[in-house]
Amino acid sequence: MLTVGPIAFLAPLLLVTLAILPVLWWLLRAVPPAPAKRAFPGVRLLLGLLDPERMPEKTPWWLLLLRMVALAAAILAFANPILNPETQSRGTGPLVVLMDGGWASAPRWAARQARVEDVLDQAARAGRPTALVSLSAGVPAGEGLPFRDAQDWMTRVTGLQPEAWAPDRAAFGEWLDAADVDGFETIWLTDGLESEGDTAFLAALQAKGSVTVIRDDADPMALTAPRFEDGAVRAEILRQNGTIRPSVRVAALGPDPNGIERVLGETRVIFEGEGTATYVVLDLPIELRNRVTRLVLPEHRSAGGVVLTDDGLKRRKVGILAGGTEEETTRLVSPLFYISKALETSADLIEAPLTDIISAAPDVIVLADIGTFAEPEREALETWVDSGGLLIRFAGPRLARSGEGQLEEDPLLPVRLRAGGRAVGGTMSWGAPKQLRAFPEASPFFGLRLPDDVSVSSQVMAQPDPNLPERVIAALEDGTPLVTGRAEGDGRVVLFHVTANADWSNLPLSGLFVEMLERLAVSTRARVPDAEALEGQTWVPVSVLDGFGALQEPSLLAGVEGARLAEARPGPDMPPGIYEAGEQRYALNLYRTGDSIAPLGDLPLGVTVEEMGVVAETVLKPWLLAAALMILLVDIIATLWLGGRLTGPRVVKGGTIALLALGLGVLGAPSAEAQEGDDAAVLYGTSETVLAYVETGDAEVDAISRAGLSGLSRVLTRRTAIEPAEPVAVNLENDEIAFYPFLYWPISERQAVPSDAAYGRLNAYLRSGGMILFDTKDANLGGRLGAGTPNGRMLQRLAAKLDVPPLEPAPDDHVLTRTFYLLQDFPGRFAGREIWVEAMPDIEEVEGMPFRNLNDGVTPVIIGANDWAGAWAEDARGNPMLPVGRGTGGARQREMAYRFGVNLIMHVMTGNYKSDQVHVPALLERLGN
Amino acid sequence: MTISPSERAKTAVLLRRDSEKIAGSLPPLLAEAERLAFTVAMGVHGRKRAGIGENFWQYRRAMPGDVQTAVDWRRSGRSDEMYIREMEWEAAQTVSIWADDAAAMDYKGPKAPRTKRDRAVLLALALSVLLVKAGERVALLGTNAAQPRTGENQLQRMAMALAEENPDRLDYGVPPMARYAVSGRAVFLSDFMGARDDVFPALTHAADRNVAGCFVQIVDDTEEVFPFDGRTIFQSVGGTVEFETQRAKALREAYQERLAERREALEVMARRTGWRCLVHRTSESPRKALLWLYMAIGGLK
Repeated sequence: MLTVGPIAFLAPLLLVTLAILPVLWWLLRAVPPAPAKRAFPGVRLLLGLLDPERMPEKTPWWLLLLRMVALAAAILAFANPILNPETQSRGTGPLVVLMDGGWASAPRWAARQARVEDVLDQAARAGRPTALVSLSAGVPAGEGLPFRDAQDWMTRVTGLQPEAWAPDRAAFGEWLDAADVDGFETIWLTDGLESEGDTAFLAALQAKGSVTVIRDDADPMALTAPRFEDGAVRAEILRQNGTIRPSVRVAALGPDPNGIERVLGETRVIFEGEGTATYVVLDLPIELRNRVTRLVLPEHRSAGGVVLTDDGLKRRKVGILAGGTEEETTRLVSPLFYISKALETSADLIEAPLTDIISAAPDVIVLADIGTFAEPEREALETWVDSGGLLIRFAGPRLARSGEGQLEEDPLLPVRLRAGGRAVGGTMSWGAPKQLRAFPEASPFFGLRLPDDVSVSSQVMAQPDPNLPERVIAALEDGTPLVTGRAEGDGRVVLFHVTANADWSNLPLSGLFVEMLERLAVSTRARVPDAEALEGQTWVPVSVLDGFGALQEPSLLAGVEGARLAEARPGPDMPPGIYEAGEQRYALNLYRTGDSIAPLGDLPLGVTVEEMGVVAETVLKPWLLAAALMILLVDIIATLWLGGRLTGPRVVKGGTIALLALGLGVLGAPSAEAQEGDDAAVLYGTSETVLAYVETGDAEVDAISRAGLSGLSRVLTRRTAIEPAEPVAVNLENDEIAFYPFLYWPISERQAVPSDAAYGRLNAYLRSGGMILFDTKDANLGGRLGAGTPNGRMLQRLAAKLDVPPLEPAPDDHVLTRTFYLLQDFPGRFAGREIWVEAMPDIEEVEGMPFRNLNDGVTPVIIGANDWAGAWAEDARGNPMLPVGRGTGGARQREMAYRFGVNLIMHVMTGNYKSDQVHVPALLERLGN
Repeated sequence: MTISPSERAKTAVLLRRDSEKIAGSLPPLLAEAERLAFTVAMGVHGRKRAGIGENFWQYRRAMPGDVQTAVDWRRSGRSDEMYIREMEWEAAQTVSIWADDAAAMDYKGPKAPRTKRDRAVLLALALSVLLVKAGERVALLGTNAAQPRTGENQLQRMAMALAEENPDRLDYGVPPMARYAVSGRAVFLSDFMGARDDVFPALTHAADRNVAGCFVQIVDDTEEVFPFDGRTIFQSVGGTVEFETQRAKALREAYQERLAERREALEVMARRTGWRCLVHRTSESPRKALLWLYMAIGGLK
């Protein structure tokens, strides 16, 4: 290797060939080639002529120089020059490359890989045995470190992926202490985060040999597990150092109603001052919040920047039940109407008998005006409340009458009730309906705004007793309790002293009712499951995070014991992700509330520290070769120019074509010609009445279509006021079809199904009044349309995406039978009777005449199988192209086909005009009167 | 290289066959002979004039001075006038043909079907066939068939002479200063590329002998188009003349100008002497040239 400044040559011997450049210089200067000898009788006429121009006998110096430079560049290229060669050579002996390889390494993983490759490359050049160990992958299996040729490791570096958890350095340190490994040099690519046992780890490394730490200045960030507080999703963002940095984006992801994952909420968070942790609060509508599956830091792609949510964010199950459901009440006075309205957006409602509700294990049960329970029901309900259920009850006539909880405290009622209730503001009572008092601070409703118009006219009364005040969570302005609540076991019982419908108060009609229910429901958020709750179950991972924070299918992972899930940190055998046991789901996140991350502490003496950034070696060979080629290209052009061959008619033409082709290729612009062609087609289509047919790509079919429409156009011109111009072919993919009133679409098996864009245009065309005549041209041999024949099946495929209205066989009195000629049937080359048109909505008899109450639209599609174009087709001299029938019958059939065509185009052009003609007698009669 | 007599005979036969093939498609020259005007010898050609001949031409009234024996009594007996029966003047014609056999005529361009010499020989013989069929006398100048004769034998002789390889021929052909039959016809088939001072006196010599005729300049396409380029040394076919150029292409226009000049000179001379000129390219059909010659020989004054 020869080094010149920042450039090193790997094959310096080749540079010797630079010495031959002067020789080449001399050779290339040589005179032009020897002349050709020709026998030519006309030579006598040439005698005495002078050469007007002379071939240059010597190559101009600059051209020579150009060639020399090209050659020199090629020689230099093959000498394998390298810019910024890595020249520092480390020691000898075995080398261990340690990578942290945890989530914090993910943000700059590519750079790490590059650096590792770099290190391995040098080790390979020095021929050192090397071991590459990822600290996140667990301690190495077996006795010693996996020493191998560095070249072997090189091939595996690109396949390395960061893990979703933090590296376990302590474990490696311990293993190293215990293992029987000879001394080695260590290069440790750290992610810069502190972990427990770093000191011991480094000590263990240093015991084996010199240690080089390659630090990264990246600033990894992590999110802690989200939780609900004050009605919002809260999580903490952790970082390791307190430098000032721009705001951090946090996004909540989850499926939209269609199941497609979207960003449901987003916010930006700024670290205040030099803090290393800050809260992120995502205030989402409850419908969105229910769907959030994870929070991510989109700008920091790593497993640390993703936290998953589990059951905690799922929709709650609410069982609702009312007394007297058999009553024939209308829906608005149903006791459950307002409750279900208030809850249905945010909860899964279960409306069933009580035992069924309980067995569905709801989070909340709402009972509206239920007085007494059967004994098994009561027991089940009490057990359920004890184990953490929230029971919300509403009062009502039935509860008041039942006497429940009046004599002794009922576990299913928060307070004792007084017999009877009270009614205020009624016709038979004193006083006005009572309004609500502001919610006390201890109440879960605290902070809710009280609307002025909420009033209570009837309620059940609580028996005053010493415990009553602490159980009141909402009261009327005169102090009587309106909502009372009490903890019962792990659960809670809440009573609204009014009905759940508007009988006793208009509370259920107000927005406050919804908010109150929501507060109550929120306050029953599933607890953070503790070890006890998780214990005894085996949790199976359903989806796990990879190092970059993407969810993956778990593979080769065993279930995890519940207790471990609650206590241990994620690791190789327990990656962060969603775990499932039975119906429950548990999200294992990297960091929990209250965790923090810190930078790697001070390194002990004797440790070399390097930075990540490396100036990459640049191999100059390809560039030099490219330069040499470019110069040779210039040389070709210059030589041509010198020889006068860049000008002259032929060359100019070829050159122009080449330049044009190049220009078109480079620009990729739609050619002007196509544009003009389009314009011409548009002008033609809009300035004339033009019949159009769909190009099927089947040349024969297309030719018949064109000839058929030409023939029909001629007949129309001859017989009617419609004088169409020559028909045009329409390519559905490229052409605009909006200009043509009528499209003839012969079905050919060989045609391609149009693209979605083309279908978009076709549907717009049909909706805006265009008509398409589908013609399967097979005489409908397969029986029902679109069933038996290949063309029929093709038609089905083509029409699948078309916005075709319901169809029916054309009835006898369809307007098509009388728009110009009076027709009975619609023959083409085949005399099949049946054609399908848009189904008529209804038929009214108007003064004895059938009258179709149509909008002004023409039927958007007509489907038939009679090969009309074949019958219409005429050649240039007006002779029919295809035979129809036999003898005079055939001639008659062809004439009928033309008549059908005339009627069809008339129908297209005049809409339901002829249909309206049935009114003419009636109108005339009225005018006469 | 010597050519054995048998091969020569074979070539002659082929040549003859080719010639008759293209001559066969033309009507006999006799049909055109009626338009011929003058002649010096009695022949089978009517000259569309009263004169010495065997065919009836016209009756005319006897004028004072007419010999009495000339009166046609049978005709005169039917009227009061005396009539003289005149016969059509008939003549045989001598056509001298010169087919250039110089080395320059052996040139053939890369795309041309045959050499110029081949074409000249073919035309000469074809014309002879026609003439002999019409009873004319033909001579092939510069060969041992130079004596004007008629008949099959003459054709044979001519074919042999044309097939003969002349070992000491010139680089550029010069028309021979032959003794021409008085008021005969001459046809010169050559490329007329020789030095001006050589070619033109020979041509005027023929005209001086009161001989009318045609120049057919046979050229190769490459001689007209000059499709050469690059550094080139041009040599005459015989190698006597040499010219070197750096860029042949640049000389194209000058060359074509000179070629046109040479043709112009030929034309001018032909006009002065009452001859006619044709430029015939070897890429063209020989029939065209033969027809032209057939018309020209018949139509000359």
